[in-house]
Amino acid sequence: MPLLAFVINFSIPAKWNKVSGWASTIAILISCVLSVFVFAKVWNSNHIVHQQQLWFTIGNTKIYTGILLNNLSVLMLLLVSLIAMPVHIYSTAYMKGDENLSRYFAYLSFFCFSMLALVVVDNLILFYIFWELVGFSSYLLIGFWFTRDKAVQANKKAFIMNRIGDIGLLTAIIILFSQYHTFDITQLFADKGLIAQSVIKNGLWVAPLGSLPSIWQYIACGGIFLAVAAKSAQFPLHTWLPDAMEGPTSVSALIHAATMVAAGVFLLGRVYPLFNGLELTILAIIGCFTAFMAATIALTQNDLKRILAYSTISQLGFMIMAMGIGAYASSLFHLVTHAFFKCLLFLVAGIVIHQMAHIKDDNAMDIDPQNINNMGGLRKKLPFTFIATVIGGLALIGLPLTSGYLSKDSILIQSFEWSEGRNGVFKLIPIFALLTTWLTAFYVTRLIVKVFFGELRMLHGKPDIKLHIKDGGWQYKLPLVLLAIGCLFPLFSVNPLLYEQAWLFKGFAINGGLEREDVYHTLIPAGVNILSIIVIYVAYTIYVKRKTNIFPQEGFLYRLSFKEWYFDKIYNKVIVKPVLTLSTASFWFDREVIDGFISLLVKTGIILSKLSAWVDHHIIDGFLNLLVAIVEAISNFARKFQGGKVQYYLFSMLVIILALFILKIVF
Amino acid sequence: MNILTLIIFTPLLFGFIITVLPSAWRNSFKYITLLATLLQLGMSIWIYCNFKTGAAFGGINHESQFQFMQKLPWINLDLGAMGKMQIDYFVGIDGISVTLLVMTSFVLVIAALASWEIISNLKGFFVLFLILDMAVTGVFCSLDFFLFYIFYELMLLPLYFLIGMWGGARREYAAIKFFLYTLFGSVFMLLVMIGLYLSVKDPVTGNHTFNMVQMMNPANYQPGSVFSVLSHQTIFGFSARAVGFVVLFIAFAIKVPVVPLHTWLPDAHVEAPTPVSIILAGILLKIGGYGIIRVCISIFPDIASADAYWLGLLGVISILYGAMNALAQHDLKRMIAYSSVSHMGFVLLGIASQTAEGISGAVMQMVSHGFLSTMLFFLAGVIYNRVHDRGITHFRGLASIMPKYTTFVMIAFFASLGLPGFSAFIGEAFSLTGAFKSTTVNCLLPYWMAVCGSVGILLGAAYFLWTLQRMFFGPVNLKGGSVWQTALTDLNLREKITLLPLALMVLALGLMPSLVFAKINDSVLALIQFLQVK
Repeated sequence: MPLLAFVINFSIPAKWNKVSGWASTIAILISCVLSVFVFAKVWNSNHIVHQQQLWFTIGNTKIYTGILLNNLSVLMLLLVSLIAMPVHIYSTAYMKGDENLSRYFAYLSFFCFSMLALVVVDNLILFYIFWELVGFSSYLLIGFWFTRDKAVQANKKAFIMNRIGDIGLLTAIIILFSQYHTFDITQLFADKGLIAQSVIKNGLWVAPLGSLPSIWQYIACGGIFLAVAAKSAQFPLHTWLPDAMEGPTSVSALIHAATMVAAGVFLLGRVYPLFNGLELTILAIIGCFTAFMAATIALTQNDLKRILAYSTISQLGFMIMAMGIGAYASSLFHLVTHAFFKCLLFLVAGIVIHQMAHIKDDNAMDIDPQNINNMGGLRKKLPFTFIATVIGGLALIGLPLTSGYLSKDSILIQSFEWSEGRNGVFKLIPIFALLTTWLTAFYVTRLIVKVFFGELRMLHGKPDIKLHIKDGGWQYKLPLVLLAIGCLFPLFSVNPLLYEQAWLFKGFAINGGLEREDVYHTLIPAGVNILSIIVIYVAYTIYVKRKTNIFPQEGFLYRLSFKEWYFDKIYNKVIVKPVLTLSTASFWFDREVIDGFISLLVKTGIILSKLSAWVDHHIIDGFLNLLVAIVEAISNFARKFQGGKVQYYLFSMLVIILALFILKIVF
Repeated sequence: MNILTLIIFTPLLFGFIITVLPSAWRNSFKYITLLATLLQLGMSIWIYCNFKTGAAFGGINHESQFQFMQKLPWINLDLGAMGKMQIDYFVGIDGISVTLLVMTSFVLVIAALASWEIISNLKGFFVLFLILDMAVTGVFCSLDFFLFYIFYELMLLPLYFLIGMWGGARREYAAIKFFLYTLFGSVFMLLVMIGLYLSVKDPVTGNHTFNMVQMMNPANYQPGSVFSVLSHQTIFGFSARAVGFVVLFIAFAIKVPVVPLHTWLPDAHVEAPTPVSIILAGILLKIGGYGIIRVCISIFPDIASADAYWLGLLGVISILYGAMNALAQHDLKRMIAYSSVSHMGFVLLGIASQTAEGISGAVMQMVSHGFLSTMLFFLAGVIYNRVHDRGITHFRGLASIMPKYTTFVMIAFFASLGLPGFSAFIGEAFSLTGAFKSTTVNCLLPYWMAVCGSVGILLGAAYFLWTLQRMFFGPVNLKGGSVWQTALTDLNLREKITLLPLALMVLALGLMPSLVFAKINDSVLALIQFLQVK
């Protein structure tokens, strides 16, 4: 078993092959097979693989590198490789013709490597390393078309936003290390691990090896929350994800829908014991708010990928909320099912966008191939794609027979149970969650109807254009089939209606939620779905019949939603601008004040030296010159006596004698 | 022949050879210099490989634990009633110096390769270069304060001429500013050095001594002398030892440079020719950090603990202030210069924490920054050589016309902003860990300093990525138009040969930090123990 795990780690660098896309695909296939194998061995076997090796020693601390395989990590391992494989296959066709194909696959493999390593590492330092490498590879892939301005701005934004999360995580790790003197995940977070043994009392956070003021426990949790919010695109750090859609669509499918953004939820799963009741409640509120907010934004967007991006944010909000209300297993379950259907939807979107771009190029039109207002009627042109979309869409809405139904309803039911024992404000959480599912139903229907029903709107005014579009080859179809299977119920539960029987729940120690003890377990699924179907029908009628004026296109709510709640504008004004101003100010300070002080010193020195030069010249030297002048004057005076004229001598002698006489007479 | 003596004076020998060669052979000078630096690199690698580790080789305050020592009486003047003047030629290294020594000789090879761009007055340039080479190597090896000071001062002279004669447009201004700034620090250092000399007696010979290792032992101070631990002498109403510490700290802080003593650095870096920028950023700044560890806190451990808060505060200010300034720059080299200020702030923060993690992190950060700033300045030099412009806003979309160059820039930028897998991440992460842990271990630094320091990592990402986006990505748009487009050729073979080992080094240190940590660990532990005992 450990040997096998080693093989996985080994197969990873092998994937880093720039030769061609197929090398990457085969490599991911190998890791996929291996991870299935590992999964079969480890899942529920009570056998936790933990292998480690000394990495380096710093001071008296030994830092190890190693892998840790438990139920959570093998599940993620399997999920990541299972999703990555179809995306690789799809990419070979989707990216065909791009001159930087090998660069693309190198990045993609690098991402897979970091992501797979992230889920198996056993200590927080390594976790941080791969956490950031995942963000880095996402940076590379978003900016893959680096000549597009928007793409490079988006990747910068994504990386910096993720950096905010990273420093949160780093701070949390440092705090944990100071408190517990170890980075090891098992030692920290296992049952009866160090975290479990520490308590907060009297304002102190007491652990077996020392204590810190309790505020640092909250800061550690806050840091981890920041990390989660950045990676999983939660409020307030969610704005990078819609922009990240500038990357190739296959990348969006893999990274920004299925795997990387789920890393935040995975992190929560890893460090779950650290959070206490209050912090979990905050988590639930933020998750719920994000879910609701993103769903309202998705209602009015026109860019196909942006709609899906906001829907991803919304679903991630569901997962975070589930973590917050203690529905640990449901959250992970939703993570898995969401990965399948969202990936499917993105791949479909990729096909649609490609075909639209074809039409655009063929006819030299000036349109945005991603704008759903230009689409329509593609059902007949792309029948296969249409079916896949419908399956994915239904799973996203959470209708029975799909996997989304199982996971979403389990979260909803548990949220109601959770709010049972709490007061009024907390009751809002399940209600908003419910509302969000209906909003989801609405925007999904809007999307599907606008894209696939009716007629192709970009042809308005140009009816004579010929269309050569089709579903595409097997590289397109196979991944869709694979993912669509993953969207249906049999993969997860034999009973299509009762999530309680899903096998996934058995892998996690869970507290309740599985027994059908109260009325919620029947009422909610029924209620939700009936209303969802009504919403779908309403939306269908609205958009098929093109009553575009049914909703006001102005008004505060519409603008709020269309402008994405003004987050970008606010951040730009409140954070980016002040930071830039501050940096300019500090540069001014540097130039004028600090350097100014130095040059003031220099000037003072120069003035002083000039002064002393003046003193030297005029006073000291002047004194000497004065002396010289005096001596000169005296000698000039004396010289007059030696004129060489006898009369002059006689005259002066006479004067002196006279003077002597006068002196004698006077004294 | 002692290997350290050999490594110090090899460049001098080659410098002499260049001096006597006729100017007609001027084209061979760069190869001779390169050979000298390569020889040095070979020797330092040999030293590194033969450097013994273990608790018995901690160094710091035990003379016998230093390695590759050589001690020769140098100036022995009989002063009659005042005893004998004892100045030794005393070299030796411990864990703190060995990694910096290897890094220094590596950077010097790169600097020699970067000297290809120099076209005027070759003889003068290379002779000065080799004198500088000798001086910086000597600083890291000498254990006698007098010798240390001589090497320390000897660096200034060649640097002054190298900047002043081969520099950019405002070279005279930059050179004189640099020279006066550093001289200001070292003149006062001289006073403290003499004070220490008069306070310390060699227990064996009974003479006053400049031996730094003996200065670390409080028992060697004469009772009643200026810097004696017990006598509590005062200067201008301040404790004499505190004054001594502060003066030495200012001297080294100018080198590091610590805000607010940093303003010579942007000017000197910007105006200096590429090889000199490389030596300035790669080696000279490390001499400041090394001096703080070796001299300031080792000779005045009591004051270092008492003032740790202020050191840490200055470190945090440098990190944030440097980063903010870097964000505001429009000149590539100036941006890199301010990023150096920010990165060296981590070094100071780590040292101030006085924990094993912090000091190891600081040394790691110095080694890593040595390689990274070398790489960054070399890269800035590449573009300046081609079009004689460095304005960030004057370029756009360089990735399309210089793909290989962009790859190296991305490696250097991402490594500098602390991407895990590269060395800077290890250095920064552990400096911060040490700073945070300091409260629980020795109560020197408050928790918030580490948290504020980590904001520097965020700002680092901001200024590097912004530069990357503005200069390298997007559609091609150059200020100089098509003239520039033809001038901006991709990297040539020499440049690739120069950059590749640097990139590999930072990667290797990031993946295997034990390359550094294994060698320094015993010394760091010895230092911590020494500081705790005081």
